[in-house]
Amino acid sequence: MFAQSVLAESNSLYVGDMVFYIISFIILMLLVKKFAWKPVVKMMHDRAEKIANDIDSAEQSRNEASDLASKRQVELQNSRQEAATIISNAKQSGEKQRTQIIASAQNDAQALKENAQQDAKQARQDALNSAQNDVANLSIEIASKIIHKELNANDQKALIDSYIEGLGKDES
Amino acid sequence: MGGDAYTFKFLGLMFNWTNLISGLVIFVLVFCLLYGLSRKLQMKPKGAQNLMEWMIDFTNGIVRGQMPANEAPHYNFMAFVLFVFILIANEFGLIFQFGWGGHELLRSPTADPIITMTLALVIMTLTHFAGVARHGFVGYLKSYCTPYTAMLPINLFEEFSNFLTLGLRLFGNIYAGELLLKLLAQMAFSHGIPTMIVSLPLEVVWQGFSFFIGGVQAYVFVTLTTVYISSKVSTEE
Repeated sequence: MFAQSVLAESNSLYVGDMVFYIISFIILMLLVKKFAWKPVVKMMHDRAEKIANDIDSAEQSRNEASDLASKRQVELQNSRQEAATIISNAKQSGEKQRTQIIASAQNDAQALKENAQQDAKQARQDALNSAQNDVANLSIEIASKIIHKELNANDQKALIDSYIEGLGKDES
Repeated sequence: MGGDAYTFKFLGLMFNWTNLISGLVIFVLVFCLLYGLSRKLQMKPKGAQNLMEWMIDFTNGIVRGQMPANEAPHYNFMAFVLFVFILIANEFGLIFQFGWGGHELLRSPTADPIITMTLALVIMTLTHFAGVARHGFVGYLKSYCTPYTAMLPINLFEEFSNFLTLGLRLFGNIYAGELLLKLLAQMAFSHGIPTMIVSLPLEVVWQGFSFFIGGVQAYVFVTLTTVYISSKVSTEE
């Protein structure tokens, strides 16, 4: 079976090599596919998928972040407005209170002054009245003592009144 | 052809020891390389995995460049193994050449026309098979009569010349590279020290160039393979 020779002597086409190479090449392909190609290609495919996913999720989180930022901006604006309204309200109510206090104080003062004037007027009137009566009685008594004559009290009073009126005019 | 090499007959077929040994070494080498490069796979690749993925991307790019997008994924794997195998086989002979008793035992398998023609035969068979699978047998036969029936002989001849040039281009480049390396080595040892000094830089330069040629030929072989497959499976009428 194994007829050893040198090609120069045998000088024929070595077809056996072709068969050997074809079979070996097929075996090599099978082995490489199982042990090298499949795992590496699978890893490359996995990586491509992972990168695609990462890009998608990055886009998503970017959108979320920008949403949050705009929301925060709006909230900031709102709270600023709120603060401004609170301050202006406080100012307004302070102003109102101030004017109220001033007005009531003025009213009080006015009332006090009016009362005092009223009292003073009353007191003077009372004093004048009592003085009139006293003077009338005194003068009647004096006149009756002096003249010893009974005078009509009413006539006498009218006479005295005219005197007193003259006195009041001089005083005021 | 190889000229002088140890051969033996087995089951009525002629075998050449040189090709058997070289081929076995290359196959084992390719498998060990790819197996080693694809260990400890990570989502975030480094080192060996990067090299492996770069090669895969490279051959995928070759296939994608020639084929419609829906066909390309079927041929990625074949292009990858073919490329790595031919590349290693081309460069192997530049580093190791081993002979015994005046006959070579270890060298680039692709420097033997039988081996390159075997590869070309496999590829051409594959292209015809892909054509039949894609268009059906009748459609496949019709493709020889496009654009018109008068083109039939030219199309048939093209198939034959494709097969021939695919195999012989690879063989010629690699064989010539190794032959010149051998001649330079002979020259170096022909007249002692002076010829050694002259031929050493020449040898280095030629080795570098052959290394480059080996890479280019692997690329060309895979590219032409995808072109031929693509011309069979493409749908243009």
